[in-house]
Amino acid sequence: MARTLADATRRVLGSRRRGDRAAAVPGADDTDAALVADLVEAIGADRVRADAAARYLASRDASIYKEGNAGPVCYPGSTSDVVECVKVATRHARAVSPRGAGTGLAGGAAPLGQPVVLSMTRMDRLLEIDLDNGVAWVQPGMVNLDLSRALAPHGVHYAPDPSSQAACTIGGNVANNSGGPHCLAYGVTSAHVLAVEVVMSDASVVTLGDLTAEPAGYDLRGAFVGSEGMCGIATAVAVRLTRNPPAVRTMLLSFDDVSDAATTVSAIIAAGIVPAAIEMMDQRCVTAVEDFAQAGYPRDAAAVLLVEVDGPAGGVAIAGERVADIARRNQAISVRTAADDDERARLWKGRKSAFGAVANVMPDYYLHDTVVPRTRLVEVLERIYEIVDRHDLIVLNVFHAGDGNLHPILAYDSRVPGTGERVQAAGREIIEMSLDMGGALTGEHGIGVEKREYMNRMFSAVDLDQQSRLRASFDPHCRMNPGKVLPSAHSCSDIGALRASDAAGVWG
Amino acid sequence: MHLGLDDDELVACVACGLCLPHCPTFVITGRDTESPRGRIALMRAVQNEGAPVTDDLIRSMETCVQCRGCETACPSAVPFGHLMEGTRAALAGAGRITPRWQRLALRTLRHRRLLLAGSTLLALAIRLRLVPTKRLGLPARMPLRRPPLRTSGDDVWLFTGCVMDAWQRDVHLAVQRVLEAAGAGVEPTGGAAPCCGALHIHAGLEAETKAMARRVMDGLSGDDRPILVDAAGCGASLKDYGHLLGTDEARAFSARVFDVHEWLAERLVELRSRRPVDPLDVTVAVQDPCHLRHVQRAHQAVPAVLAPFVADVVALDDDGLCCGAGGAYSVMEAELSRAIRDRKTAAVARSGATVVASANPGCSLHLAAAGLDVRHPLELVDQALSASRS
Amino acid sequence: MTEFDEALTAFAAEVGTDGPVCVRGGGTRWSLGGEVAPGTREVQAPEGIVAFEPAEMTVRVRAGTPVAGLHEELAGDGQRTALPERAGGTVGGALMAGESSIACLGLGPVRDVLLQARYVCADGRIASAGAGTVKNVSGFDLCRLLVGSLGTLGLVGEVLLRTFPVGETERWVRLAGTDPGAVRSCYTAASVLWDSTDVWILLSGYAVDVDDDLSRLAALGACEDVDGPPELPPHRWACTPAEAAAFDARNGAAGPFVAEIGVGVVHASQPQPFRPVESGVVELNRRFKERFDPTGRLNPGRDPLRKP
Ligand SMILES: Cc1cc2nc3c(=O)[nH]c(=O)nc-3n(C[C@H](O)[C@H](O)[C@H](O)COP(=O)(O)OP(=O)(O)OC[C@H]3O[C@@H](n4cnc5c(N)ncnc54)[C@H](O)[C@@H]3O)c2cc1C
Ligand code: SF4
Ligand code: SF4
Repeated sequence: MARTLADATRRVLGSRRRGDRAAAVPGADDTDAALVADLVEAIGADRVRADAAARYLASRDASIYKEGNAGPVCYPGSTSDVVECVKVATRHARAVSPRGAGTGLAGGAAPLGQPVVLSMTRMDRLLEIDLDNGVAWVQPGMVNLDLSRALAPHGVHYAPDPSSQAACTIGGNVANNSGGPHCLAYGVTSAHVLAVEVVMSDASVVTLGDLTAEPAGYDLRGAFVGSEGMCGIATAVAVRLTRNPPAVRTMLLSFDDVSDAATTVSAIIAAGIVPAAIEMMDQRCVTAVEDFAQAGYPRDAAAVLLVEVDGPAGGVAIAGERVADIARRNQAISVRTAADDDERARLWKGRKSAFGAVANVMPDYYLHDTVVPRTRLVEVLERIYEIVDRHDLIVLNVFHAGDGNLHPILAYDSRVPGTGERVQAAGREIIEMSLDMGGALTGEHGIGVEKREYMNRMFSAVDLDQQSRLRASFDPHCRMNPGKVLPSAHSCSDIGALRASDAAGVWG
Repeated sequence: MHLGLDDDELVACVACGLCLPHCPTFVITGRDTESPRGRIALMRAVQNEGAPVTDDLIRSMETCVQCRGCETACPSAVPFGHLMEGTRAALAGAGRITPRWQRLALRTLRHRRLLLAGSTLLALAIRLRLVPTKRLGLPARMPLRRPPLRTSGDDVWLFTGCVMDAWQRDVHLAVQRVLEAAGAGVEPTGGAAPCCGALHIHAGLEAETKAMARRVMDGLSGDDRPILVDAAGCGASLKDYGHLLGTDEARAFSARVFDVHEWLAERLVELRSRRPVDPLDVTVAVQDPCHLRHVQRAHQAVPAVLAPFVADVVALDDDGLCCGAGGAYSVMEAELSRAIRDRKTAAVARSGATVVASANPGCSLHLAAAGLDVRHPLELVDQALSASRS
Repeated sequence: MTEFDEALTAFAAEVGTDGPVCVRGGGTRWSLGGEVAPGTREVQAPEGIVAFEPAEMTVRVRAGTPVAGLHEELAGDGQRTALPERAGGTVGGALMAGESSIACLGLGPVRDVLLQARYVCADGRIASAGAGTVKNVSGFDLCRLLVGSLGTLGLVGEVLLRTFPVGETERWVRLAGTDPGAVRSCYTAASVLWDSTDVWILLSGYAVDVDDDLSRLAALGACEDVDGPPELPPHRWACTPAEAAAFDARNGAAGPFVAEIGVGVVHASQPQPFRPVESGVVELNRRFKERFDPTGRLNPGRDPLRKP
């Protein structure tokens, strides 16, 4: 037994360069060997990887933050695997960082201080569809779109639809309280999660919330959603099922002027219409998207709005007409209604590939996710273009206009010296401007590591102290995904584990 | 180590992850090391940051099926196929991948006679149960005798290639009959163009591939007849000569290449007008070979051509996820390959179809080995045509 | 970060930094989660609408404002919130009780209405949770934690709430002797109540759609217009939607009842027998209380675990 375990551990720790036996596995010191051995014993060699390549990749997500530093990577297959991993990590005084698909845009899944990374992708099953209670229990690694597809035969769906839905996981959605185009009318993830089974930092398993309308006690479920992996590991989620609307109308409104599009958004809301979605893209973004998706967006418009109304047919027709009217009154150059499901799907595919398509313009992008009052969109957009011009950068705007959730994408080439600084500077100005308008730091991507130091700009010391109490109630010793969300002065002091990434070279 | 990859291609990945669900190895393993995004990040680490080429990194590259599902899914148009071919070429050049026996085996593909003879031997061995067909992913029965190919005119070339000609001559014959039914005179390429080089480029043998490409182009030069291909992998390979060799001549050659369904889809009227056809009474699931769907992006032609000739054509609900065949992959990475195939067979079962139509021999063999009834789409068309003929 | 207005700072001063203290709202759910410990000082939350922005669909209001008065104001612009209107009930009280309106099906639960809260912490300082926008995930979600906390974690002084347009048409109808499951097809139903024989339905939406649903209902049986929901028995039971739809008065020892179909709440004549709570959940509740109110001065005697 001991021998085979040692062999397995050696295998898991990774290969060395051939013919270079002396060189240690970068970043993996002796403590790691013991830790890895214990992990292997706890959940099996095929569920643990500690080689340089695996750790390098587990250190990053879709954000530009590249300083993450993963310890061994585990691929638990069950709640009890997760429990075991947390126990082993605790025994070795190591933190634990959960990871979904790594599509997060704020570095939330970038591990700090070589924690044990729990990659939840193997827990991807749909556990139960309970139509009588209007819920489904799913494992956290299930991909958002796979869930909706599995639900389709029942005439229901899972409403939050991040643009990354083809890849991101329900666990990541819960941790980031993710939004999506259709959250305008349906609400963000928090409104669609009824209960969560969580492995806590002391390795106990607790179910937060239940299927009743008003569970007894504090709304721990609500407190957990959006906690970015810092309050425990979600191992099963009860999501609310939403009835498919009987009718849907998707409209593409094009404008000669970005301001007209923004005015239209504010006017729709002011008219008391709550469409299922109102998305906006400016010309540069449309061009990038069309190159990939050929969705039929007009390349010559300065801005387009994708508006969807849904519900019973009568109201959809009325709301659709009103939206079209408002658009025309605001100088829309064209108002197009998707003729069929195919066209509708194409338009959405275009919208949802927008971030990815940026590389058609520049190889890197940095984006903010601030929210501003939706009545001030015109002004805000003007300011953004002005800021970006001043820093001599390129911006693509694509965002959830209906709730004022901006996504100005600063596209750049990090290989050009000095660009990084300009991008940071412009980003900072956009954030300050948004907050000055009464806005919020992030609407759906979360704080992670990237926006952490901006928290002081939005919240007072008292506010942050209250937030850290919430965190500490769940995880008193800061063992779960440490170092995120709260600015350094407000996060746990005892994160000895947060040693700065040791200079172990590229594989560090 | 410099992998010789184009820096602009390499940095085009923005790590958005939208390719993940389209990658068969990620879907199975859930590991970033087995994902397109991860593989690209590792290539970058090696080429731009001087990271060492560890065995684990090599495993990450070797487990890629090279299906290029990631490429069609990528909104940033990252040319993953090129990056992976380049990486493998660099690793093979440095002696880090492709064992010698595999190289030798691939070398025989260039020698048509040798291959045909070898295949006959293999077929004999299989019949005598000397070879474990299941484990090696070989067809349970191979032809001992191959009916000859004949030239029927000079409208189009029919590319007959290497392995497929050796193992599935019947398919070529069926395809030829269908083309003739559509009014085309067909000349099989036979010895004029022995092998397209697809398997070689996959294995990272770039120099060999280039030599083979030149040989094929020489063999088929002298006119500008369309070159029709009934094996998706070969078609993809021939269509890529323009990029591989980078010459005007090669680009002109590639422009002449069509998947046979692509060509027929434009001539459905001719094909159907000759005589009324009774559709075969089968429900057919169309499996999209990656080389047709992700590389040639011509997969929609298959159901279009097939539909009039069978009772029902159903699409699989797996977004065209690879079946795990991947040329030599099914042998080299047998375990992963089978796990990927299991997803495909499950999708076929869900579809309710009894017959699977596949336009690529590699996929056909791989799926048939799982017990599915797999046919080339044009075999079915041919069958429907000949049934109404009699 | 913001300057707090005078009403809020005055409230904080009144709450002070020590001694047990509780807030009296309308007193409509005064005993929920237990009686306040004797000797607890009573304070009142400030009152008044600070800013209503119809085009933003938000309203900033002080916690002591009666919900009915607030809704009257919002109705001027055709809007309302998802807070329940209980005679005399205040905004703060409704949020702290966390009980949704009977139109929850259409309006959504109370826990989703709170966008930002300014509250007095146990140490007397004012904290702000959430943001001034309709969407926000900056940091941990204290707003969700506060709703339903019975004022045991902080005393809310001022809030920003989400508002909704009121449906173009709203109509209560009653269907005699119908299975409540049969009305599922009504997309405009904002409330479906069932007393084991009859079904009351609030239809809300565009007139065309409501008419459509009315004809659908008429096909199910005798359907008549009524002024409003039936009288609700006094005790609130927490059930799952499936339990509510299959509610049986005799088995449940609940007496006559009205069940909210599709939601799960059942209004019964007898109190709900104790529903066991997982020990891990009890422990977490304890830790939250301890962290947020170490001396236990906020609404002592109340415990959300003892709801309903
Ligand atoms: C192209 C693109 C488009 C996007 N569009 C949107 C959008 O429209 N709306 C939106 O809101 N976001 C969007 N995002 C951001 C991102 O997709 C979401 O934040 C998503 O929810 C992350 O899910 P993930 O599975 O990738 O999680 P990861 O990035 O892997 O992790 C995110 C966080 O969740 C934690 N976590 C993961 N699993 C668990 C678990 N089981 N238990 C506890 N914590 C866990 C991690 O520690 C981390 O803090 C987009 C991203 C991209 C690249
Ligand atoms: S080519 Fe196929 S197997 Fe390789 S990374 Fe892309 S999708 Fe995955
Ligand atoms: S989809 Fe393209 S850009 Fe996005 S991670 Fe995959 S390869 Fe990179």
